[in-house]
Amino acid sequence: MYALEVENLKKVYRNFTLGGLSFSVEAGTIAGLVGRNGAGKSTTLKSVMGLVSSEGTVKVFGKEFPKDESAAKEAIGYVGGGFRFYPNRSLSAVAKAVARFYPHWDGQAFRRDCEEFALVPTKKVRELSEGMKLKFSLALALSHGAKLLLLDEPTSGLDPLSREDLCDALLSLKARGVTVLFSTHITADLMRVADKILYLANGTLLADEPLAGLVGRYRLARFSSADEAKAANAIGVKAVKDGFEGLVTGLRGREATLDEIIIHLEWERRRA
Amino acid sequence: MRPLIQKELSLCLHPTEIVFLCFAALVFVPNYPYEVIFFFAGLSAFFHCMSARENGDLAFTCALPVRKRDVPLARIAVAVLFQCILLLLTALCIAVKQLTFPAELLVNRAGNSANLAFCGFGALLSGAFNLAFFPMYYKDPNKVGVPFVVSSAVQFALIAVMVALRQFPFYAPLASSDLSHCGMKLAVLLGGLALYCALTALSAWLSMKRFERVDL
Repeated sequence: MYALEVENLKKVYRNFTLGGLSFSVEAGTIAGLVGRNGAGKSTTLKSVMGLVSSEGTVKVFGKEFPKDESAAKEAIGYVGGGFRFYPNRSLSAVAKAVARFYPHWDGQAFRRDCEEFALVPTKKVRELSEGMKLKFSLALALSHGAKLLLLDEPTSGLDPLSREDLCDALLSLKARGVTVLFSTHITADLMRVADKILYLANGTLLADEPLAGLVGRYRLARFSSADEAKAANAIGVKAVKDGFEGLVTGLRGREATLDEIIIHLEWERRRA
Repeated sequence: MRPLIQKELSLCLHPTEIVFLCFAALVFVPNYPYEVIFFFAGLSAFFHCMSARENGDLAFTCALPVRKRDVPLARIAVAVLFQCILLLLTALCIAVKQLTFPAELLVNRAGNSANLAFCGFGALLSGAFNLAFFPMYYKDPNKVGVPFVVSSAVQFALIAVMVALRQFPFYAPLASSDLSHCGMKLAVLLGGLALYCALTALSAWLSMKRFERVDL
């Protein structure tokens, strides 16, 4: 069963086009949306949420936007780049206003999550650190029983320990059956938690496959000359200290990290 | 719709919106352009939208389980609530003034006298504000100032027309400060209320349509 099905999602800005994306995310999995800054990650998530007007079909657990907009959004917990809303309101005031929108709001779960994340409900939003704001967003999403979490760059701006905490939280959510789609350019986080990678470059989906498949396919090889790299059909060959590097599909070289795969695929795309 | 309105009141309300309701008491000031009272209803909507913008409210609200097109409707409903309360308070103050003030103090030399017809004009001023302000604001919710300047200009132009009309003899019955010509004044009140409803409904329809195309 799919938690999210996206078909031919298209958004045209003056200087950027998100070009007809189609992908799906299976229920109970964690998918990572990767790509460099400006690749279209936030636009994709905002289009899925209907925050920007776009073309295409979006279904959340079979419920289609905009026909079943309210019902589809009820299943989603959206965290768009940190909680930068209502800075002068207390956490409990925001939670109280949000609770009215969800028939299945669980006040006990909210209090429990606040305790678990060390959030003080009487504190004002502006008094929270970036990491705590993210935890507050998660607490809100979990209290209305979100089955699909859409997180836009949740780990950027967080220190390594907070990022680790978040990754742990995502894994425990997955164990509870929650589906997660999160955008990031910090690929180390994806290696920790993601089942699937959606790789976006300049508004185009270049890869949509399991993390293990993508990482297992390529190896990083070093060459003494560009001609040698060309002869080996290396992908995204670029000059490095003392030679050249590129991705190969054979046994040559060493295992490539997700970062290296993305850098060389991006390099290849730019050369093309 | 109810949770949306409750959210508007609990998270976006600016304290001045309550204070501006007290300005209904301006009808007690002798020789004052009472039409300005309804400018404060517009100012109240402006502060509400500005407070919402500073709180990042629209992006947050649209991620909640609501239809995007319902979001402007809730905010306009809150503006209508405050405009209606201001109109009712003004009418109440006018009634108190008519009953307690000496006749010579009921005559207003700076504008229209505070009477039933004046409330009709007030409703028309608020309706005109709604039509000018909200559709322009919901075209680009990051810009609150320009729609407010334009809608205030519309309001003041209408106020100027109303004050100028007072100089013509045919207008005298509507400008009278006593209880004479009640039928005519009531007709103006009802006409003003009908126009208020029509202009506000058109404003809401245009705002909803425009907001659906906005990228947050």
